[in-house]
Amino acid sequence: MVAVAILAALLAFRAAIAADECESKSEDCVAVGHWNFSIALGGGIRTDPLGDSASIPLVVIPQVSYYGKRFFLDDLDVGFTLGELGENTFSLIASPGYDRVYFYRGDLQNFFVNGIPAGANGAQSGSAIGPQRQAAVRSTRTPRVTYLAGPEWTFAHGGFSAEVDFLHELTDQNEGNEIRAAIGAPLLESHGLLSFNTGITWNSAAIVNYYYGAANGYRGGSALDPFIKLGYSIPLGGRWRFNSFAEYERLARAVEGSPIVNQNHVTTVFAGFVYGF
Amino acid sequence: MSRPFLPVSSTASEPWIGARPRPGARPARALFAVFALLLLPAITGAADAALERADDGIRLELKPKICTLGIKDQQCEARVEASWHAEHDESLCLVILERPDVKKCWEHYAAGTFTIELVFREDVTFELRDPGLHQVLASEVLRIIKEALRYRHKRRQPWNVFD
Repeated sequence: MVAVAILAALLAFRAAIAADECESKSEDCVAVGHWNFSIALGGGIRTDPLGDSASIPLVVIPQVSYYGKRFFLDDLDVGFTLGELGENTFSLIASPGYDRVYFYRGDLQNFFVNGIPAGANGAQSGSAIGPQRQAAVRSTRTPRVTYLAGPEWTFAHGGFSAEVDFLHELTDQNEGNEIRAAIGAPLLESHGLLSFNTGITWNSAAIVNYYYGAANGYRGGSALDPFIKLGYSIPLGGRWRFNSFAEYERLARAVEGSPIVNQNHVTTVFAGFVYGF
Repeated sequence: MSRPFLPVSSTASEPWIGARPRPGARPARALFAVFALLLLPAITGAADAALERADDGIRLELKPKICTLGIKDQQCEARVEASWHAEHDESLCLVILERPDVKKCWEHYAAGTFTIELVFREDVTFELRDPGLHQVLASEVLRIIKEALRYRHKRRQPWNVFD
């Protein structure tokens, strides 16, 4: 299946494969061997699908990345680029399981907010865990840090981008599978960029139950969560730019049906200023 | 100033190398050698003069000569000193092609120095011209050298909230 998908992606974008080599720093290109730091300062919230705490505040969001010739670090993701073909990049990546952030405020993903929750998760500094959920959490298996790894295909050209990840849990916690797939396209592009993203996160039943299975017998199946996002970004001069987005994710029945989940969606909004060091 | 290099070659196959001179040729050859020695300073002096006339003997020097841009740098900011000197008094003007507002002129000077604070993103060309600005007498370029970097595609994830 993975091979077929990769082959399909190759054929689909063969026409777009031109001599698009990176020769200078741009929106799509980055210098090899250098660290990149940025920090977003602003205001935003992510709703808590468990419904037993206030929305999760988003105020300070750091980002860090490093690109070697093939190795790269992108916040908490690490990867090895197998090859580039035009604007297509094929990599092997390892990425943390996002859902743990809901159960541990000290999880690093509560600081590096870069993913779309597969279910009930997100940055939640300052949020409180209600008694009802505490009981539910205690009754479930304690989630630990998990990492998933697998092949990734990304495509980027101008404002267009696409991504497909096939991931398998490698840290011997649930041995589940996850698929992340999304596309992005510009809606309006002048000095600033208004973009539209949409995609899905698919989690196998093993992952869903690892986080949301309950001692009372609830066992969910696999979960397919679609999302849409509108984003606007505009450079402000120097190293500053303004960034804002609004995102809505619909939770699958397998997640929504868990006794510790009380909402069927996660909404995230943020507006702030990003400074690149 | 670089001098022309005249290649010299000799091989044993050349007939006059190692050949015994004819008896009557020795006085004539000695006379020729003395004559050549006497003429040598005049010949080399004339050659130097010809070369100096080729560039009017006016030399322009920039300090610094290059500006190196790092990965984070967008532009160079430098205090640039342009100095010139000539063999004889000259009347000329210093101009910067990328800065038409800058012009510094000297009348009957054999040397001069001009200092300016510059902010630039591309190479900057300094020229010494005649007072009418028609003829270029000397030229130097302050070059920008960008740090030798390799680039690769950045990971763009539409799945990521910030991409």
